[in-house]
Amino acid sequence: MKPSLKPAFDAADQMLLGCAARFVPGHRRADWLREWKAELWHVRQERAPMEQLSWQAEREIAGFCLGAFQDAFCLCQPRLRLGPLLTALQGSAAQCLLTLTGFLVLSYGIAWLAPGVRAERMISAPMQNPGLILIQYADCDATTIEPQQYLAWKNRHHSFFDDFAFYRVSEESIQAEGESGTAPRDSWKVAQASSNLLALLGLPVRYAALESNSALPQVILSKSFWKIEYGADPRIAGRVVRIGQRRARVAGVAAGDAWNLPGKIGAWLVQPDSTLAASGSGFIVAHLTAAGQKKMWAPVMQINEYDEDEGPRFFGYNIDQWQPGSWGIYWLGIVFALISLPAVTSVSLGEYSVNARKTSLSRRLYRWSFFSAKIVLLMMIDYFFTLDLAYFRTAQSAQVSASIQMIAAFVFFLFGLRWALLDHRQRCPVCLRRVEHPVEVGLASRTFLAWNGTEMMCMGGHTLLHIPALPTSWFDAQRWLYLDTSWEFLFVGSSVG
Amino acid sequence: MASEAKLSHTAAMILQALDAGFVYGFSIMEMAGLPSGTVYPAMRRLERDELILSKWEKQSIADAEQRPPRKYYKLTAAGRATLLASRRRYPLLERLIPSETVRAEEARSQ
Repeated sequence: MKPSLKPAFDAADQMLLGCAARFVPGHRRADWLREWKAELWHVRQERAPMEQLSWQAEREIAGFCLGAFQDAFCLCQPRLRLGPLLTALQGSAAQCLLTLTGFLVLSYGIAWLAPGVRAERMISAPMQNPGLILIQYADCDATTIEPQQYLAWKNRHHSFFDDFAFYRVSEESIQAEGESGTAPRDSWKVAQASSNLLALLGLPVRYAALESNSALPQVILSKSFWKIEYGADPRIAGRVVRIGQRRARVAGVAAGDAWNLPGKIGAWLVQPDSTLAASGSGFIVAHLTAAGQKKMWAPVMQINEYDEDEGPRFFGYNIDQWQPGSWGIYWLGIVFALISLPAVTSVSLGEYSVNARKTSLSRRLYRWSFFSAKIVLLMMIDYFFTLDLAYFRTAQSAQVSASIQMIAAFVFFLFGLRWALLDHRQRCPVCLRRVEHPVEVGLASRTFLAWNGTEMMCMGGHTLLHIPALPTSWFDAQRWLYLDTSWEFLFVGSSVG
Repeated sequence: MASEAKLSHTAAMILQALDAGFVYGFSIMEMAGLPSGTVYPAMRRLERDELILSKWEKQSIADAEQRPPRKYYKLTAAGRATLLASRRRYPLLERLIPSETVRAEEARSQ
C-alpha cells in the first residue's frame, strides 16, 4: 500500500469517531471524543508506525474505531432508558421476529402507498367465466360478424348457448379531455361493446360510477390502460375522455384485460343493442350451457353442427384461459422455491438426537412455533415485496410485471428460506438465542486424525454448538452440548438467558 | 458497591489489568485480548459504579513526549475490594494477567 494513503485512512478513522460521538450525550461528548482520539493516536503508533503501512494494520485500526460506536451507544442508552431491553433483545427470537415484522410493515406500507401496487391488490385479475367461445366465420382469418347476426342469435333460444355478447374494435384515439397536447404512451384500440360483454367475460367493474341520466356514452377502461395512461388513479370514475371526436364518461375500470380476445383493447364503449345494430361488423362472444360445454370441448369447433341455422359456416374458438393474477403468480414462485431449496442448502435443522439432556416438549413446541412464525412472516414479506417490485411502476405491461413478480417471488423466498434454516441451526434449543463468539478449534490439516471445526456458545450459558469444518462419517452434522451448572459462574452478570 | 458484588469475567479482567498496571484503555485491550467495543463500555460501567476512577494526564507531560494526553484509570478502594472477591470467584484471573510484582519476580527469576 502506498504511504500517501495514510492521511486518507487517518481522516476516515477520525470521521468514524466523529460519527460515533453524535450518539454521546452533549455534556460528555467533548471529553469522550478527546479520549478516543488520543487512544486512536496511540493505536496508530502501535499498529502502523511511520511508513510501515499495511491493509491488515488499517483494518485493525478501523475495527478499533468501530468499537467507539458500542461505547457511544452504551453512554446514550441511559438517556433513552432502553439499554437493558436492547441488551436482552440482542440475538433473541423476539429481535428476529421484530425485525421481520419491521420488514413486513415496510413492504406493506409501500404496497399501500404506491398507486400501481394498490391497484393490483384491489383489482385482482379474476378467473374468467368458463365455457366462453369466440365465434367467427369459418372461411376467413380476420373476418367478423354482422351485428344483425348477433341480434338474431340473441333473440332465439339455443340448446347449447345461453348468452351472447358483441363487440367491434375501432382504431380510434382515446385521451383524457383537457389533455389534448399529451399523446397516449401506447397505442390503444377502443371496442364498442354490448352492455353485457364484461359480465359475460366475468370481469367485474371497479370504481363504478354509472350515471343513468348522463347524456354521454359510458366507457369502461381496461386495467392496463388505466394503469399506464392514468397511473392507476382511483378517482378515475366520472372523468370525461375523448374517443376520436366523441366524448364519453368513464364508468369504471374492468378488473382484467380480457387479453385472450382479439385486439389490444384499452377501453370498452358500452352501447345499447340498437346502436350496435347500426355499426359495422365485429366479434361475438358466446357462453355455453352445461350441455354445450360437454359437447364442445375442443379448442376449435364447427358451430353449425350444433345449430339448426342453415346460414354461413361458423367456427367457435375456445377462449377459456386461466389468468393467474398476482396471487397465483406468487404461489407459483413459492412452490418453485420449495422445490429448489435442497439445491442451495441442507434442509436439516441440526442434530438434536445425541443429547444427554432432552429439551422439554413445551420448549420444542416453542422452537417449532418460532420457526413457523419466521416462515409465515417471510411469506408475507415475500408477497408484498414482490408486489412492490413488480407493480411499483404503472407504465409497464402486465406481462412484464407478472414476469418480475414470478422471478422475485422465487428468488426472494428461496434465499429467505435458506436464511431461515441457517438462522435456526444456530439458535440455542433452550432459549432460542443465537449462539455467539465463534472459535476455530483444531487444525484443518489434521481433519482425518482429529476433530476440527467451529465452536459457538449460547450467551445465556445453556449450550455449546460444535460445527465440523468437514463432515466426516463420525461427525457429519452439528451437535449441541448442553452445559451443566458448573459453567454458570462464567455467565454471572450477563443480562441474557 | 459492596465487595461481594458479582462481576462478569470481562469486568473482573479489566479490574485485574488495572491492578496489574495497565492503566489506559488500549493497554487493557492488548493485555486482555478484548475488542475496544467491549473494553471501553465496561470501563464506563465500572466508573459509574465507582469501582474505578479516571484522570487526564497533564498536558505538559504529553507535550514533552509530543503526543496527545491520555486518560488514565485507577482502582478505587471499592474496586480493589471487588477485585479481591473476583479473584476468589475466578482463580485463573491472576494467571491470565499477573500483577506487577509477580511479573517483576518472574523477570528476576529468568
